[in-house]
Amino acid sequence: MPLGDCWKHLSWFYYQYLLVTALYMLEPWERTVFNSLLISVLGMAVYTGYVFMPQHIMAILHYFEVVQ
Amino acid sequence: MGVVFLRARAVTLLGGRQIRLPLISFRTSRLTLYKPRTLIFVKFRVASQSVKMTESSASKLLNGEACQRALRAKNAGKNGFVKNHCVFEHPRKYRRPAEKNQNATSNSSLYKKPFSESFEETPLLVAVLTYMGYGILTIFGYFRDFLRHWNIEKCHIAHEREQQKDFVPLYQDFENFYTRNLYMRIRDNWNRPICSVPGAKVDLVERVTHNYNWTFEHTGKVVKDVINMGSYNYLGFAENTGACAGAAIETTHTYGVGVASTRCEIGNLDIHEELEQLVARFLGVESSMAFGMGFATNSMNIPALTGKVRNLIPFLFLFCFRFLSVEEFWNSACYSLKEKQLFLQRIIYKKKKGCLILSDELNHASLVLGARLSGSTIRVFKHNNMQSLEKLLRDAIAHGQPRTHRPWKKILIVVEGIYSMEGSIVRLPEVVALKKRYKAYLYLDEAHSIGALGPNGRGVVDYFGLDPKDVDIMMGTFTKSFGAAGGYIGGRKELIDYLRCHSHSALYATSMSPPVAQQIISSMKIIMGEDGSTLGADRLRQLSENTTYFRRKLREMGFIIYGNDDSPVVPLMLYMPAKIGAFGREMLKRNIGTVVVGFPATPIIESRARFCVSAAHTREMLDTALEAISEVGDLLQLKYSRRGRPLSSLGWSSEESLLQD
Repeated sequence: MPLGDCWKHLSWFYYQYLLVTALYMLEPWERTVFNSLLISVLGMAVYTGYVFMPQHIMAILHYFEVVQ
Repeated sequence: MGVVFLRARAVTLLGGRQIRLPLISFRTSRLTLYKPRTLIFVKFRVASQSVKMTESSASKLLNGEACQRALRAKNAGKNGFVKNHCVFEHPRKYRRPAEKNQNATSNSSLYKKPFSESFEETPLLVAVLTYMGYGILTIFGYFRDFLRHWNIEKCHIAHEREQQKDFVPLYQDFENFYTRNLYMRIRDNWNRPICSVPGAKVDLVERVTHNYNWTFEHTGKVVKDVINMGSYNYLGFAENTGACAGAAIETTHTYGVGVASTRCEIGNLDIHEELEQLVARFLGVESSMAFGMGFATNSMNIPALTGKVRNLIPFLFLFCFRFLSVEEFWNSACYSLKEKQLFLQRIIYKKKKGCLILSDELNHASLVLGARLSGSTIRVFKHNNMQSLEKLLRDAIAHGQPRTHRPWKKILIVVEGIYSMEGSIVRLPEVVALKKRYKAYLYLDEAHSIGALGPNGRGVVDYFGLDPKDVDIMMGTFTKSFGAAGGYIGGRKELIDYLRCHSHSALYATSMSPPVAQQIISSMKIIMGEDGSTLGADRLRQLSENTTYFRRKLREMGFIIYGNDDSPVVPLMLYMPAKIGAFGREMLKRNIGTVVVGFPATPIIESRARFCVSAAHTREMLDTALEAISEVGDLLQLKYSRRGRPLSSLGWSSEESLLQD
């Protein structure tokens, strides 16, 4: 079933992420701390991008004189 | 009168060169100690005459004075470099190597068969991710140390009591940072208790931890028949049945187990004499000596060979004979003050003997410890790099000792047969050629290679087909291929006789236990074929077949494997710190016991799993192990090699193309 497959794939990716960032060696509460920090930073980056992306794109197009 | 006995006497040592070992030397005999070494520039590739120079004129040459030959040299104006007459030239063009492949090219005449070693370079992405992983662990380490310091978390490590907080600190907290915060987290991969003989299969005691590896508890169960890929059991002599074990039991009935004395006192058994004669015959040297511990063989005998040795026998003799204490001697009227000062200088505060040790970068801790204890100057050359060694030799001979520029008394090159962390084999023909040209001595530590290399199992000298008499000091251990414990040193008779009197290990350490000595005797006889069966030859052949098969298969699977193709030590690169722990645990889940190694035994990013192939492994065991390694490699994404695997990734399309042909 595709959902089970998907879950296995995600689980494998999460395991690779744990190995590469060495979170595999840390205790569960340390993993929680690191993951929450990472997610909060990424969330803030995504939100900032969402808010400011239209202005940035308009500025770039204005610079290259595609749009007045 | 005692002084008369203690005059300087010359001892012929190590190939006929006169080396004076002054027990007491007076001012007159000092002049004979420093013979100016002649420098011989032999024509090799540059068309020039061979010139014999004394030390002073050589230094003039190096300082750039006009000289016919110096003008031909490119860098005559530079101080301190002796170039262009080297035996082993640097490659002309500098190429950035994609991999450091060290096939012997220009010196192929010295090697009878191809010498292929490879140390594939670390992929850049892997290196960056490894550093990132260590960075994250370090940050969390600091965080946990902070919590421990402020008592938010219980501290399991050793620390002082509350009342002693203001005293001088007893425990260096920061030095153990790595141990506390990185090693402890994956500590369950090491020190696993074994409860059977460590043969091809071993039983492990199962243990659990409830506080993340700070303490362990035994559950009472035993994990049976774990395939043992970690023991140094190269020829499979670690067994509790068979001829060796039977002979050892007989010997225990005869001699007991403990010896209760040192070799010099009353601990010299006839079985030790038999063992030493057998070892000498096995190696092809004149004489040998066996010690109870392999590590102590290196660390206690290198100080006896180079550097200062407190020659205690004449010291004791003098003081027992005439004087009862240093004060009495000092106050006695029969010697002048000057004589007394000289005497003390020579006997008690032995001056540095002016010896040089050239040791490989990756030498074992016992060799490093022995070299440091000896007090001689140590210079390190790059691992297995003959250009680096030659440069050091030439600089040493040209410049002499650091401040005085006197010639070195002795130059000792210390190398190992197989380096156990890299799996590389020393380039012995080249080292021997260098040693002969520059008149240095060679100390070869065959801890892993004795019994495991060579068509007759006689080690790396046999593997290259060289003469054992070229190596001045052959050292080895009985721990690996012989299934026992202890070490030996072999060489000329005069050298071994000298070591019998002057080695710390012989004077102070308990001698080898009799059943252990008997195990070595029986296993060595089996390897030599003297017990009448072909068991030795079978095992040697099995080991080399297993090695070739195992290495080939691992390379084909796409792992990065270091080392020479013929060495039974197989390091498999892991790189990332979390993968060290994950690999060890996953392999144990699949019933295979492996040894994983990290910092500080290896460089910080080059952590590895080290497999030791054994003659006791059957083809099925190796196949099981290889399958498990491949599975774990896919799970952990360890197949880093970028060398292009033959057809493995093409799958069905390759088969079709073969059929079409």
